[in-house]
Amino acid sequence: MRNIFPRWSNTVPVKLIIGLGLIGGAVVAGITYYATPKYTRVGYQPTQPVSYNHEFHAGELGLDCRYCHSGVDKSSHANIPGANVCMSCHQNIKADSPLLEPVRLSYYGEDADKDGKLSEGEDLNGDGILNAGPAIPWVRIHKAPDYVYFNHAIHVNRGISCVECHGRVDQMVEVHHDKHLSMAFCLDCHRNPEKALRPLDEVTNLSWEVSTGEDVDPLIAQVHAGLELKDNWGVHPPLSCTGCHR
Amino acid sequence: MKSPTNQSVLPVGKEYWKSLDSLAETPGFRDWVSREFPEGASMLDGVQRRSFVKLMAASFGLAGLGMSGCRRPEHVILPYGKSPEELIPGVPAYYATAQPSGRGFQPLIIESHQGRPTKVEGNPSYLPYGGSTDIYAQASVLDLYDPDRAMGSFKRQSLKNGVNRWQKVSTSTVLDDLTQNYTDGKVAILAPRSHSLVRNSLKDKLASKGFKWFEHDAVDPSLAESKLGDILGVDFGLRAIPKLNSAKRVLSLDCDFLGNRESNELANTRSFMGGRKVLKPSDAKKMNRLYIVESDLSRTGGVADHRLRLEASHISAFAALVAAEILSKSKSSFPNSSSINHLKRLDSGLEKHQKWASEVAADLLTNPKQSVVLAGSHLPKEVQLLAYSMNRALGAIGSTIDYIRTETSAESISSFVDQVEKGNIERLIILGGNPVYQTKGFINWDELSKKLKSICRLGSSIDESSQIAEFHIGQSHYLESWDLGKTWDNTAIVPVQPLLAPLFDTVSESTVLSQLLGDDSDDYSQVKALHKSLSSGTKFEDFLRLGIHPVVPTFAGDVDPTSSLLAIKGKNLIHPSFSSSNLEVLVIPDFHAHDGQYANNGWMQECPDPISKLTWDNALLISPVMAKHLEAKYPDLGLLPKATMLNKNGEIAPDAALFEGGKQKAPVVSLQLGDRSILAPLYVQPGLADFTLVASVGLGRTHTGRVGQGSGYDATPLLSKPGSLVLTGASIEPTGQFKILANVQEHWSMEGRAIVREANADEYAADPSFAAHMGAESHSPPMWGKDQGKSLAEKATSTPRGNSAYEHPDHTYEKSDVFGIHQWGMTIDLNQCTGCSACVVACQSENNIPVVGKDQVLRGREMHWIRLDRYFSSTEREGADIPSDVQVSFQGIACMHCETAPCESVCPVNATVHDEEGLNAMAYNRCVGTRYCANNCPYKVRRFNFFDWNKRDTDSLYQGPLGDKNDTLVDMGKNPDVTVRMRGVMEKCTYCVQRIQESKIRTKVNAQRSAKLSSGEDGAGIKLETKDLKVPDGTIKTACQQVCPSDAIVFGDISDPESEVSKLKNNPRDYSVLGYLNTRPRTTFLAKVRNPNPRMPDFTSSPHSAREYSDRAHPAHHGDDHGTH
Repeated sequence: MRNIFPRWSNTVPVKLIIGLGLIGGAVVAGITYYATPKYTRVGYQPTQPVSYNHEFHAGELGLDCRYCHSGVDKSSHANIPGANVCMSCHQNIKADSPLLEPVRLSYYGEDADKDGKLSEGEDLNGDGILNAGPAIPWVRIHKAPDYVYFNHAIHVNRGISCVECHGRVDQMVEVHHDKHLSMAFCLDCHRNPEKALRPLDEVTNLSWEVSTGEDVDPLIAQVHAGLELKDNWGVHPPLSCTGCHR
Repeated sequence: MKSPTNQSVLPVGKEYWKSLDSLAETPGFRDWVSREFPEGASMLDGVQRRSFVKLMAASFGLAGLGMSGCRRPEHVILPYGKSPEELIPGVPAYYATAQPSGRGFQPLIIESHQGRPTKVEGNPSYLPYGGSTDIYAQASVLDLYDPDRAMGSFKRQSLKNGVNRWQKVSTSTVLDDLTQNYTDGKVAILAPRSHSLVRNSLKDKLASKGFKWFEHDAVDPSLAESKLGDILGVDFGLRAIPKLNSAKRVLSLDCDFLGNRESNELANTRSFMGGRKVLKPSDAKKMNRLYIVESDLSRTGGVADHRLRLEASHISAFAALVAAEILSKSKSSFPNSSSINHLKRLDSGLEKHQKWASEVAADLLTNPKQSVVLAGSHLPKEVQLLAYSMNRALGAIGSTIDYIRTETSAESISSFVDQVEKGNIERLIILGGNPVYQTKGFINWDELSKKLKSICRLGSSIDESSQIAEFHIGQSHYLESWDLGKTWDNTAIVPVQPLLAPLFDTVSESTVLSQLLGDDSDDYSQVKALHKSLSSGTKFEDFLRLGIHPVVPTFAGDVDPTSSLLAIKGKNLIHPSFSSSNLEVLVIPDFHAHDGQYANNGWMQECPDPISKLTWDNALLISPVMAKHLEAKYPDLGLLPKATMLNKNGEIAPDAALFEGGKQKAPVVSLQLGDRSILAPLYVQPGLADFTLVASVGLGRTHTGRVGQGSGYDATPLLSKPGSLVLTGASIEPTGQFKILANVQEHWSMEGRAIVREANADEYAADPSFAAHMGAESHSPPMWGKDQGKSLAEKATSTPRGNSAYEHPDHTYEKSDVFGIHQWGMTIDLNQCTGCSACVVACQSENNIPVVGKDQVLRGREMHWIRLDRYFSSTEREGADIPSDVQVSFQGIACMHCETAPCESVCPVNATVHDEEGLNAMAYNRCVGTRYCANNCPYKVRRFNFFDWNKRDTDSLYQGPLGDKNDTLVDMGKNPDVTVRMRGVMEKCTYCVQRIQESKIRTKVNAQRSAKLSSGEDGAGIKLETKDLKVPDGTIKTACQQVCPSDAIVFGDISDPESEVSKLKNNPRDYSVLGYLNTRPRTTFLAKVRNPNPRMPDFTSSPHSAREYSDRAHPAHHGDDHGTH
């Protein structure tokens, strides 16, 4: 009886297996690279409504992070400052800069003559209150998923610096997403907090490094210093689901 | 479970039973409990498998088309232009306010997230309530975000077909119209009763301008005070304020003082249940004792030690019986012999209860000044007088009860009708309430409204009363208004301050009244001025912060009741004799809707009635005796469970009569009362007086929102005059129709085991650890291995969670990652629970628990994390007969956070795991919805999101993504600290993990900051001890614990031997439910102790449930012939 299948078909299964394996491998590799936070988040740099320069304000001028993000050590959220915070300086400095137009709009609102009082014709919506203007629509860069309850206060107050998650914001002209902030990123630090712990006064000092002797590896020095802090402060970061998921 | 349950061996039936069907062991019930989720719970209804696959294929195809879904969605953050002071985004603010109601102002603290009120708590500064709230206050926050609210003002347009259309108009134009047209002197204002001082002051001003004021409530607890004042012949009301913390013996004459039929439920619960706390055997002697005579089975009746079922119409006579005993034997000088003899002469016809009455009287008299008699507000004035006289004779006034003086100035709705007929009133303003719904039994509003020139309505939603009005003005929620009012006991004046500006174009009651006066001052300045007039010496801001201004109530003083007693005529006390064709109807406020105002509140609708366990409906309750009468007359009614039948194949045939596919089929009857009649579904309720029917008002509304529409039946047509809630001469007849009732009482039954453990006070005093001798664990204790004898704290912190026989490393907190710094645990004191169910709604509010709707409750898919199991137990029974005299036990069941949790071991994706502090964690984002965990949970506490409850309209759940989305207004009330769960994930009680984590974070932050501040250095040298990082005991309160008026629930760290929860767990009354399964639950229960009087005719030496258990556990002792087990 003649062979039903031609000779070349003998290799088909092998080719198929290899082919499928390659495709599968490519898909896995592709997902691993392109579909994880390392690719999807890092580098995200949206255009902001006001071109606020972090490098200048936080780096050059040396404003403390908490001057604007004032809730960071009290609340789970690190708040974006209201326009009044910007205006506390910019009422005097660069008061007429066109770049600051959205800020002034938000701050003064109905207060057309900018005297802080409700004058004739200013109460546009008739509620008897001097209303602020529209909020500045800052575009959100760092966002934890809805089922993750990250708390800034506990990290900042227990010696974890802003730089650990947000990178060198003091060197960014426009802020971008610097670390990937995946669950593995969180757990790495929760398992080994000594790599990140630092004295409380240095938390907002983004350029701080543990002082070392000349021949000591700074990483080892950090781990040693960190372990001491961990022990002194009783730092036991939660490792189970309830720590972050509620 | 389908193993033959041979009925011939079962008649002993000595076991717990939760409903009539489980009592009768019908196959329907057997079938029910053998499934994890009740039938239908996991079936795709109305969707064919084939079409389902097609649909899925299509949706996958569509998903591939657009890659746009991969784009990162852009979020914006919108900060303030000018940040408000003291507001930190992410930190909730708390404001003191109060909920106004006809039952007094309830002091509250509201949690607000960035201006959105999300959770209601009690104000602990008001000591009688101790920081607790009732269920209605908990649910009231949902009304603020009700999409069916009146979102502004409307003008009515009548269409030809009789339907009304509502045209939106601006509120200010309607108010202008009011000032122009409603000031001609013939204007009446009709409102529900209020305790507002703002209203009072405006009312006086309005009266001087010629406005006539009328008040009406369908259910009005303040009626009792005017009845008493009336019969005593004084010109003021006497409001009874029980002081139950000093009461040892309480006799309640149909007075539901722990329930929603009377006022001051919270203070009464707190003080009365406080007298039932037994922590050591010597407390058993100090325990208080409650006698109750009632027609309905109320929550108060469930707590009672002795309960006599008596038709409400007979209670006057019974009161005279007890009063004669008390007055004749009292040592007090007050009753003279003529009044005693007079009372004795009043032929009561209740000889069969003579022994009961005289023993009660004797017991009350042995504790003079420590006993009190309370009378239900719906009872006639003679009963109020008799109760007053008994309290006076017992020396109770001033020690266990106060009578405070109240003014009753408003006229009733009857005189309003008269004045309209006479032409004295031409215009009407209906100020809140819902009088058209409540009074249609005796007022023909269609006729009446024709005699009026115009009607204007202020109301929170467009309801029945709006239908006759020309204009409907939207009323602001109390969280959007200013007000000032008194608590029920008149000991405090509390502010109502708004948490946010009105969400819609709505106004408050006082704005409307000021408008009528032509007064431009806003509500805020009125409240401020009134506060100033109190001359309290505190600043207004401080008053708002504390939320309380204590005042001394005016006491009524001593009024001699002798002449009024002598004036009682025997004919007022003679009671009709009832039969199955001459019934009594008791009308009560509905549990779900109260007087109707919560009919559109999904949380209230879905919270099961504590006694009947009905959701989304009310039923006409009848007694088992009456049910038997009906069954004899109409054999096909299917009212009572039938004895099990075998079909041809020898299988147990399901009894379709009562439950069909797990749904309760209730026969609809026509209730005839003279020329009035209503249609209502029947529900057999043990514990009712034989010939009493219990109907409830509040449901069956015709014009309400999407939630309340079509729920329940309307009993208001039965009411023939204001305040008359006990009606006689009724008869019922089946219509042949049936109604499906969503009853949760058969869900998740725990059959025949020592679930609730009880003992009498004497037994407890003799054997404090009686609970340990019950249940399977008394001879098969949980296996702690070599740690068996260790203390609780040691077990919680050092015993490995697998209990291996090998040596283990040190697992204490400092040396291990496996055990955390705290070990959380909870105790629930069954002796303190009254079944008020506030915990159920508090949990729902705190944890974003969705409402699923009646259809889904019928499928057993309700989502409550804590459920209140209600068990009945009774004396000896004959076979499947339903007993009439029952004892009630409540047990709140939520996730037990088992140490060796059966759910965890079966989860294929590790979505439910243990955390280091003993919480049984549920990671929603990991859950794939296999439901194995729910299957393996012996406590049946896990809830599955069969649908996107939070996202989809309950009506279009089955349309999946094609269905309508929910109104987003409701989302504003969600707790931002808790994940809103999506379809396909499991959920359950978390011990309020968000509160735990917040407290832990706050403790650590505070410790670190204060250490840094005190050291003054850069913080590197700070040394923090474990104790600095521990959350102090009592800091964390779970939502259910915080709301509980009787402090039945205690939560805390069990690794700390000094914490309250540890102490309670070391109490001998402590036991675990199903402890023999070795689940080692972190939630344990304190066994219930009852305190019956050995001299009473209905005394039993053990609680019924304990005897039922021992009969079953030790059948040999029973002397029965049912052989060996």
